[in-house]
Amino acid sequence: MVHGRRMFLKATAASVALPYVIPASAMGNAGATAPSNRIVMAGIGIGNMGRGDLGSFLGRDDVQYLAVCDVQKDARDNAVNRVNEKYQNKDCQAYNDFREIMVRDDIDAVHCATPDHWHAVIVLDACRNGKDVYCQKPETKTLREGQLMVEAARRYSRVVSGGSQRVLEDYRNTVNACWGGENGLVKSINVNVGPLPIECNKAEEPIPDGFDWDLWLGPAPWAPYHPHRCSGSYSIDGTSWRSFKDYSGGGMTDWGAHHFGGATFAIDVRELEPEEVIFHNENGRKFATCRYPNGKLLHHNYPGRGNLQVEGTEEQGPSKAVPGYAGSGGIYGDFIDCVKTRRKPFRDIEFAVHTATVCHLFLIAYELERSLKWDTFKQQFVDDDEANRLVDVARREPWVI
Amino acid sequence: MMTSQVTTGMNVASGAAAIAASQTDAAVLENAFNTLKTYDWGADPEILKPIDRAIIATQGDLAARRALEKMLAAALVGGLSRSAQDYVCRRLRIVGTAQSVPALAAMLPDEETSHIARYALERIPDEAAATALRDALPKVGTKLKPGMIGSLGVRRDQQSTKAIAEALGDPDIAVSRAAAQSLGLIGTSAAAKHLSAFANKASADMRLPTADALLVCAEQLLADGKKAEALALYRALNSDDQPTRVKLAAMKGMLAAAMKK
Repeated sequence: MVHGRRMFLKATAASVALPYVIPASAMGNAGATAPSNRIVMAGIGIGNMGRGDLGSFLGRDDVQYLAVCDVQKDARDNAVNRVNEKYQNKDCQAYNDFREIMVRDDIDAVHCATPDHWHAVIVLDACRNGKDVYCQKPETKTLREGQLMVEAARRYSRVVSGGSQRVLEDYRNTVNACWGGENGLVKSINVNVGPLPIECNKAEEPIPDGFDWDLWLGPAPWAPYHPHRCSGSYSIDGTSWRSFKDYSGGGMTDWGAHHFGGATFAIDVRELEPEEVIFHNENGRKFATCRYPNGKLLHHNYPGRGNLQVEGTEEQGPSKAVPGYAGSGGIYGDFIDCVKTRRKPFRDIEFAVHTATVCHLFLIAYELERSLKWDTFKQQFVDDDEANRLVDVARREPWVI
Repeated sequence: MMTSQVTTGMNVASGAAAIAASQTDAAVLENAFNTLKTYDWGADPEILKPIDRAIIATQGDLAARRALEKMLAAALVGGLSRSAQDYVCRRLRIVGTAQSVPALAAMLPDEETSHIARYALERIPDEAAATALRDALPKVGTKLKPGMIGSLGVRRDQQSTKAIAEALGDPDIAVSRAAAQSLGLIGTSAAAKHLSAFANKASADMRLPTADALLVCAEQLLADGKKAEALALYRALNSDDQPTRVKLAAMKGMLAAAMKK
């Protein structure tokens, strides 16, 4: 429905002789940077994964946290105490509502580790307010969200990094083999991941004290509180928000962000989106394949194939250098280095969104149980009105993106 | 005299028969629809799976699909629990047509059901869905307006431009912001005019949302080949009273517009 804008932004970046992003000082943020030249950060969603992200950023001398935000009082109180103890002061403020952080001029960057259904709203608002963003994976809940996030990052010249460290760190052997030509001309790669998300119909339980349930739900449909609905457990078995459609794409997006990210990196299609997803149902065994414009195939749960199993040709293929992180300190260091240098991070939001797009294409093909053609320019399915309905969801008021 | 319950039951049975491939399937589907009447939070969603299977099974069979949709829409007006309404609206998001719009539209003014009705209506391409949202906008309270406006914006509903523009000046910031965002998404010459006019009088907390909407609108105009109109928006935004990032975005837009043939 908004197709065309993304191409405009891509064309602008390609043809206009401006730096990708502009130094913080030139963006009017110079006064906001701490005297020690640290990047001033805020953490939004500081429960399970957010707690880990906070720890990784806090361990850096070139970062200073001034704000943390969580809809659960215990989580934000713990985080504030942790930050203030680290810096031996009381400068860090706790927030229930992320919008109060967004309007602070002294925050350079935010890390977003909320449940997935919040990512787009927060990333868009951060870009609008001139903040760089480290966003946990999976970065999007819907296909349309990805398009909007890339547009916002480009529009406001923001550094926006996706949050899968595993893309580079877990699949090095496969990536090195493919980029080194050891698999010849790569034809396909397979990813085994799941499960698919389910709907949650859990019965109401009392909302714990200090838990802003309405804000936890945010843009998702209203539902009664149940601890499984909002548990940040990493299990995807119906006892965590990662299991449920309103907040996550299940294992397909949660682990898929890692596996598909690694797979698309290995076969060098990070810069592309598939143009087709082919649904297979062989005697009740369902699996699917994404086909890229260059002919490469990305299988999901292909029978008999292992995770990240590559299919190539016998001869030695072309070899090229494998890209990696900037700075030091893994994906967190990469993000901070790029905030300083204004370069694109390794897990630039566009690459991250391409991975998420793969996950969503598979999800929609499985939901409708049919093959689909994806128009990467229009960001719509081709001649499939029903599939196009699943490109996005209506958000609960007052949230609009 | 037949009771309404009996009538509904008969409709479910005949509807299920029209959809299902076999008598067994029809009985299972009929049972699922009957279960829907007592379905509530805490019930196992698996008991409604026959309806999901029917959605897949009726792909490409227009008559069966319409029969299925009719049953879903009829269920909505039958006094379902909030959980069951939620279930039905999610399915109508996929299979709904103009046939379902009246039942969904009736849910729009109610704070408990408004969003889940939009969950279906926003994604139903039939113009009747947009009409329902437009008609509901002046009738709903402040709390629901941002959602209604947002759905119309996502649909790029040009007919609602004037009504949304009137909401720009709403004293409620959520309504005003939603209006600005939606006009940006609509991205037409008329939307641009309303946003530009409002930008001159926007309150402090609406300046950035309005500038953001103007940038989005300009991108859409440029993508639609309306270069001069896009340039005019960018020039206005490249002003010292805008934050540096907005000015930079406007400069980039001006350069892109200048290079566009």
